[in-house]
Formats: sequence, structure tokens, C-alpha cells
Amino acid sequence: MDVAIQEVVRPATIAEALATLARADARPIAGGTDLMVQLRDGRRHAACLVDLGRLGLGGVRRDGDAVEIGAATTMDAIAGDAAIRGWFPALASAAGQVGGWPIQCRATLGGNLANGSPAADTAGPLLIAGAGVIVVAPGGRRRVPIAEFFLGPGRTALRQGELIAAVRLPLAEPPAGRRVVERFVKVGPRREQVISVASLAGRAVVGRDGALEQVRIALGSVAPTPVRATAAERALCGRRPDAAARRDAVRAVQRDIAPIDDVRAPARYRRIAVAVLLDRFLREVERG
Amino acid sequence: MPRRDSGARRKAVRSDHGPRTTDHGPLGGCHERPDARAKVAGSTRYVADLALPGMLHAAAAVSPTAAARLVALDTAAARAVAGVVAVLTAADIPGANLVGVIFPDQPLLVADRVRMVGDRLAVVAARSPEAAWRAAALVEATLEPLPAVHDPVAALAAGAARVHDGGNLVKAFRVARGDTRRARADVVVEAVYHVGGQEHAYLEPQGCLAIPEGRTRITIVASCQCPFYVQQAVARVLGLPLAAVRVEQAPTGGGFGGKEDYPSEPAACAAVLAFATGRPVRFVLPRELDMQGSTKRHAMVIRHRWGASRDGRLRFAEVDTVLDAGAYAGISTVVGERANVSAIGPYHVPNVLVTTRVAYTDNLFGGAFRGFGAPQVTWAAEATIDRLARAVGLDPLEFRRRNVLDDRRRRTCTGQLLPRPVLARACLDRAAELAGWDEFHARERAAGPEREGLGIGLALYGCNLHHGGQHLDRSSAVVIVQADGSVVVRVGLTEIGQGNLTACQTIAAQALGVDPAVVQVWQPDTTTVADSGPTVASRGAHASGMAILDAVRRLRARLDPVAAELLGCRPDQVVLANGRAAIAGEPGRSVEVAAVAAEMAARRIEAAATGWYRSRPRRFDAESGLGAPYESYAVACHVAKVHVDAELGLIRVAEVAAAHDVGRVIHRGALEGQIEGGVVQGVGWGTTERLALERGRLANPSFTDYLIPTAADAPKVTIAVLEGAPSGGPFGAKGIGEPSLIPAAAAVRNAVVAALGVEIDTLPLTPPTVVAALGDAHPFAWVAEEENEDARSAAAPASR
Repeated sequence: MDVAIQEVVRPATIAEALATLARADARPIAGGTDLMVQLRDGRRHAACLVDLGRLGLGGVRRDGDAVEIGAATTMDAIAGDAAIRGWFPALASAAGQVGGWPIQCRATLGGNLANGSPAADTAGPLLIAGAGVIVVAPGGRRRVPIAEFFLGPGRTALRQGELIAAVRLPLAEPPAGRRVVERFVKVGPRREQVISVASLAGRAVVGRDGALEQVRIALGSVAPTPVRATAAERALCGRRPDAAARRDAVRAVQRDIAPIDDVRAPARYRRIAVAVLLDRFLREVERG
Repeated sequence: MPRRDSGARRKAVRSDHGPRTTDHGPLGGCHERPDARAKVAGSTRYVADLALPGMLHAAAAVSPTAAARLVALDTAAARAVAGVVAVLTAADIPGANLVGVIFPDQPLLVADRVRMVGDRLAVVAARSPEAAWRAAALVEATLEPLPAVHDPVAALAAGAARVHDGGNLVKAFRVARGDTRRARADVVVEAVYHVGGQEHAYLEPQGCLAIPEGRTRITIVASCQCPFYVQQAVARVLGLPLAAVRVEQAPTGGGFGGKEDYPSEPAACAAVLAFATGRPVRFVLPRELDMQGSTKRHAMVIRHRWGASRDGRLRFAEVDTVLDAGAYAGISTVVGERANVSAIGPYHVPNVLVTTRVAYTDNLFGGAFRGFGAPQVTWAAEATIDRLARAVGLDPLEFRRRNVLDDRRRRTCTGQLLPRPVLARACLDRAAELAGWDEFHARERAAGPEREGLGIGLALYGCNLHHGGQHLDRSSAVVIVQADGSVVVRVGLTEIGQGNLTACQTIAAQALGVDPAVVQVWQPDTTTVADSGPTVASRGAHASGMAILDAVRRLRARLDPVAAELLGCRPDQVVLANGRAAIAGEPGRSVEVAAVAAEMAARRIEAAATGWYRSRPRRFDAESGLGAPYESYAVACHVAKVHVDAELGLIRVAEVAAAHDVGRVIHRGALEGQIEGGVVQGVGWGTTERLALERGRLANPSFTDYLIPTAADAPKVTIAVLEGAPSGGPFGAKGIGEPSLIPAAAAVRNAVVAALGVEIDTLPLTPPTVVAALGDAHPFAWVAEEENEDARSAAAPASR
């Protein structure tokens, strides 16, 4: 109820932005779809907002063997980008399921990550893509692997005074004759504008014999951070996703997650939902 | 006024309660709503858009716990906040510290004891809303915890913590007919239903603006459903006569019952602050506090024992309902009264025993909500009807056909004889037909996780106020014909988004034979119309329409002679239609109504009249629950088609076929809008809208976590309107506001149960509830079981 913002700064360069962000009471703002709500509820505080809108951080570009998505690229832009839809369909799908369309037109990729929510829809697709988060600080840039970016609910590897500049997704062309299946699925009680109670991003590379040469699974809303399902991946690697393999994976994935009971769903439901999502993904992979 | 039409015509007119007009007119049409353009364009000014010079903003300090003794209250830090003008506590209220509508059990500001989370401890007025809320957060209360009770059934058990000194039973009701213990039945179904509450989720939060005139008079502009309740509450806390309190209805962005009783509270706060500071005070509740502190649909625990014969005839029904009233009685007893007599539905049951108890708890308090206790008991009744149908091996549609009230069996559970025609069977059949019931069941469906189901909800709705509230069932109208032929109408019932302005405009235009565009309906103000009671119980069009017709009748005693003179006929030959006064049977000779109005003005003839309506007296014995609780009834039948993901428990309500007994259509667009809105709100209540109460605190007081349906979730609604059953309303119309919601959730529940093959007795049907109901039948139930075992054996560290 009490937004104690005293100042809004609109820097034109990253250096200027970083200079202002050195203040302990300053926070960056892009779409503001999470931050404004949190400021109003008193879950976060800031006396000074640093608007990132003029820094030119939006846009998708090919950079050698990677695609770089600017931190200020909106969900709507990501969902509609041809390169992302082609190379990273799970990410495009996830971006198109964040909030509702008006939210997608404001919310940015950098914001979705910086917010640090275990339910961040884009996190899973970035985890299975092996993305790197490009962080800028007064001292220079650093690259944080996405798997090391999330530390806990609302907590990330981003330090006070740092900014996300971009997210870099390596391109990996599968060897000839392989089949790639990539999906993002989110479960919530409503069809739109819902925070997931469980989500799965999966990418499988299937060999000519139907066996899984590579499989990456990431899950949302079932642990303190978005997580890679490494136990499930190990249970599957090299196997055909048949009934036995699926059952092993469903059992193994329970070790990858640590869901809680909260206002959105009980832990039991989240465990079962993850089992269903994984089983369905693997069935789809098997069907081809 | 004498009528000299033919005998048949006179009879028809009397049953229609309409004056002499031709059938040509706006009635049943779809002209543009008078308030539509401003609302769509965003130019309607709601309370939060109003500002006056020197205006202050109010905020409230509320209790974070549900049950405690207030030991001390320190307001020093709050007073020290820059911009704060006043911080008031119970001792500062000039009149009575009381806001209870029926029982004197609720203080405006807590003086000694907290009974629910959100109880107000102090109110603040400051120069900005930010300063007011910052100060409110700094009010320091010393609270000594008391034992609390949060389960309404436990609250009625011996030894339960007492919410009020008189005990936790607020009131009990019953209906007893025949002998349920001795009735013979081949199949008996027993079930306990846990039906959750609901948040009104009006788009515009609660709010009002109080404008003092010294310390002698005050004007309140309020977003509400009953300016007269607000008037009474403000007069009481300020110690003023009613006539010194003027309440003006603000454009109101939704009510759904949530603005019947509750707006008295913010209004009384703002009034006390306005008197203390001598300045206008605006009080608009932030969404979280609105959700946490305002009334809710009552949660109920409903126990059933119903029996039927082998051939599918209902033999007896026992219903034992406990309502969670929450911390204060509010109007819970009135809700209990309606729940009590609505518990059986439109079925012929020879032996009935209904008991309904209203229990205090330390939860949020229940209040009015579209349906007023009927949706909960209908949900339970329709679930039991489906159970019985399955038990005797009958199609649920056929089972209902064998038991539904009709022109031969037309006594309700209270013994009231319904007038013919009874349209229950017709509504049932129309909805089933619209939904394609037979075709759906003729198709084979593959077993798999993607399921489909059809379910029926059938409800009998008592129109207008219950016998116990009939002293409130009256209304006032003023009709003024201006010199240019335009017409001013003011009624005591309110426009809250439901379309009452449209209904009143149509009725007045029809009665005066003019185009609706020349009729301007104005929102009520307590200084311009008499106390008309609350805009509730689907009575808006009925009560205001009848008062308008009365006013038009009185007005025409002066208008018709003038028209007759201009036309050269007798006054009783004058008919009004198409904007003209004409001679009955001689369509060639007519004069514009505007010309008659000009003539009245020129001759200084009074062109204004008041009108009055009161419902007919009826007999009802509250002790036995027998008699006529309502003047008339409406039947509503919904058939829902759902898609269910049997593994994730996700429900998608694809389509709802809605058949409604509406008496007579006043405005087709408004009617269909009400039906679609009622269906969607009922579907939301039945599926995703869960009030997550944790020891009396609402853990999801936001639209992020309290999930109302979005446009993407709204089902396709197909509508069948059945006209012709008698109502006692204007032109034969019946209310639609509540019947449009009542059966929706029941239909969805029965469709989901049909799709999954397991009973679900807890509302709402959230995905976890559906998955839990599947139990071991779920293909991955073992996952959770194994995890439980692992957790037990490893005594694993607590998860996050």
C-alpha cells in the first residue's frame, strides 16, 4: 500500500545505470510486472528506481555459435521471435505463457530471472538450453551459468549494483539422423494468467534406434529454485523411453525435487504433477 | 384507476401488473444500456476518482490475529507520521460503537476483544493515502491471545471456545414435513459435503466519501447496494437523526452481495473521521484489506441422508447444515433462513427434515453473496440426486424427471403450493436438449486421461426476500415528466453493474409508451426516495419496476385527462405507445406524448408522481418451517460439459446450457448478460476460487492467488429463456441475478464426477482436490506414497 519511491532515474548508458545502482536503496526496473507488486506489498523496498528502458538491452541476435537475448526483451517479443521458436521452442512457449498477453508485452527476460521465483516460466527452458547469464557490474562483465544463477526463493547470484545485460544460449546442431523433441508444459488451475504449481521443460535427442542420446529436464515450482532433474536424466540416458524407463525416471525425479505445501498447492500434488508431466513428455518422445 | 378494457384483456393485464400499453414497446428488446458508453470509455467516476478540496484519506489499523483480548493500544507513533490529521479509537466514536445489521454483536472499532483477523482497532485520516496507511501500520496493539475456534461444526460442540458470551449457536432453523424416520426407501444415500466460501471479487473495491456539514449533517457518497443501510449505520455512530444523513449512491463497480451489509463499516469509519476533522474523508480499501476484512460467501458443512424407492422416487430427505457465520452474525441468520428452505430443490419429497444451524467462529464473517445460501445447499442436493440416480441405475436426467415438481405435484418442501404453470420440468428438458444430453450419452468415449462429462444442476429459487425479511420488501419510485417530454425516474434500488438502470428505463418507457432514450433513470439518494431496502435477492427489477408502474399509474390520473382533451376522447380511452397518446381502437388519431407534457407544463398540472411497492403478505411458520417463505419462485437448470485431465485434475468447463424461468423478458441483453455472468461466477466458485484460511487469516488475499475465471476460462453459455410462469413482478418478470449462478457449480461437479467415476464432496474442485479424490485410482498415487515412506524412514530434513 505504501510505495515509498522518491526518485526515478532514466539513464541513457549502462555506465550511468551502474553508477546509480551503486546506491543501496536503488533497484533496476524494466517491465515492473513483479517489482511494482512487490514494492506495493512491502516484499521489496526501493527509494530509487532505475529504469532500464533506454539502455538498448532489448532484442535477439545471433552471435557466432550462440543466440543472445537482451535482458530487456519482452516475453511477447521472445514468444514471437522466429529464431527462438526454431532453436529454442520451449523458451518461446514459456514466454507465451507468462501471465496474460498485456503482462507479456511488458515483462522482460531479465526481470523474469532477476525476480528469482521458483516458478519463473523461462527458467526451465534456459536450464535445458545450458544458457549463460551475462551480468554487468562496475568492474566489468561476468557470465553466470544459469544452473548457478538461482540461489533460493527471491535470491539470485546477482549482487547489489549489478545488472543482467543478456542471456546467451549456445546453439547445438544435433548430428544428422537424430530427432529432437523439446517441450515446455505448465500446470496451473486456470488457463491463463496463472502462476504454475509445477512446470517441466524437456529436451530429448533421440538416436536412430530410439534411445535417448541426450535428455535434459528442468522443473519449476517444485523446489526452492528452478531445478535440473539430474537424477531423472541419469535414469533415462541411453535408454529408450519405454514403460520401464519412464517408471524409473518418475521415481528418480522425486529425488530431484523438494516441493512444499503452500497456498497454491500441496507438496503431494506437485510430486504427482511432476510425475505426470515427465511421463507425458517421455511418451511423446517415444511416439516421435 | 378503473380499467374498461375487455374482460379477457383485464385479466391478462392484472396478472401482468402492467398499465394500459400496447405490446409494442421496448419490453423484451435490446436497446443500449444507458451506462454502457461511459463505462466502456472509462469516464464513469467511481468513488476512488472523486476528490474535494481539503479532502483527507482514511486507513484502518486491523488485527493480525483472530482471537485476542485488546490490552492496550498505542497510537503515538501513528500520530507522529507527517500528514496525519486524526487517529481515532473506540473511545472517540460520538454515537454507538456498533455496526451489526441485525444483532448488536459487532463494534465499529474493537474496544476489548478481537474476534477475527481484520477487526478494526483504530482509524486514521491523513493528507495522502500513503501517509494514512503508513500510520495505520504503526498503531501498536497489545493483544493477549485467546483460544480460537475455526471449524463451525467444532464450534457447536460442548466445550468449544466461545466467540461471543452467549455461545456459538447464532440461530437454528428447520423444515419438518412427514416422518423421515419411518419413511421406507430401497436405497439410502449418506454423504457429508464440505462447501467452501467465496470472495465477491467486485472490480471496484469498497469505498466511500464522507462530506460533513459542521457537526449537524453529513453526506456520504458510497459504493454500495443499500444506501439506506449506510444511512442507518452512519446515523447510529454519529448519534444523528436519519434525516441528517444523506447517502448518495455512487456508480458502483460490482457488488454480488458484498456491498449489501459491509459498506456500512467503511462509511461509518469515514463519517466518524469526517466529523472529527471537519473535512471530507475518502476511504477506499486496498484490495488485500478488502479481501481480508469484508464478508464472504458462507462455508457450509452439509450432512445428507436421502432415500428413494427402487423405481427412482424420492421417499425422504434429511439435511443437516452448519453455516460458518464467522466472528459476527451480520446477516448470516437471513442466509441461514434461505439455505434452510432451499435445501431440497424443486423436487417432490413426501418426508423432509431439514435442520440448519448458524455458528460463530473466529473466521472471516459471512455475508450476502449472490444466491444467499442457496448455491451451497443446491450443490449438495444435486450431488445427492446424482448419487441416488446411480444407486438405482437411472440416468440422472430421467431420475430428475421422475421427481421434479410439475403442474400436478407442485408443493415445495415447506408445503407451499406453486401456481401453474410450474416450469421445472420444462427447464430441465430444455437445458438437457441444448446441451445435447442424449447425443452425448449415445457416443462411445475412449478411456484415457482426457475425459469428458455432462452434469446437471437444477435449482428452485425463492424470488425476492424471505418471509423473515418481508418488512424490508418495499420500494419507492419518483417519476417526473418534463415539459419537453423527457422523463426522470428515480428509484430506491441501486445500479451496481447488474443493469437496474436499464431495467427501470425499459419498464418506465414501456409504461409511458415512450422511447427508452427519453427516460433518464438516476441513482438513489436517501433524500429523494424513501427507504426501499437493499438491492439484493434478485429484487431490483421487480421492486423498482413495481414502484415505477405505481408512480406511472398515479401520474396518468393527471396525464390522461390532458391527453384526452387534446384528442377529444374520454381519459379511459387514452393509450400510450410509440411516443404518442392515441385513442384505443383508433390508431389514426394521436398526439405526441411530448405535446401532452408541454400542455401539462403550460397548465401547471403536477407532472410528477411517487410510487410505492410492497410484497404481498404471506404465512410462514418459522418453528416448523412450513408455509410460504416466498411470494413466488423461479426455476433454473444448468447442464455443464466439462473436459477433465484425470491425471492432473485440471477441469475445463467447455459449455454450460442454461434454461431459466424468467416470467417475462424486460431487456434481453441485460438478461443474457446476467445469465452469462452468473454462470461464470458459479463455475469459478465451483472450481478454482479457494479461500485459503489459515487460523482465520486469508492466505491468498490477491487476484494472483485467489483465482477467478479469466475470459479464457469462461465456458460458452447457451441460453434458453422460458416465459409465462406467474411472478407478481412488472409485466410478469422475475429476478435473474441469483438464479443465474445457483445451479452452475452443481452442474460442473456432477459433470466432473460423471467423467471420473469418483465422488467429490469438497468444493471447490481444485486440481489437488480432484487428484486427492482419485486416491489410489490415480496412476501415480504411488509416487506420493513412496515419498511419504522415504520421509518417514529417513526423517529427512524439513523441506523448504
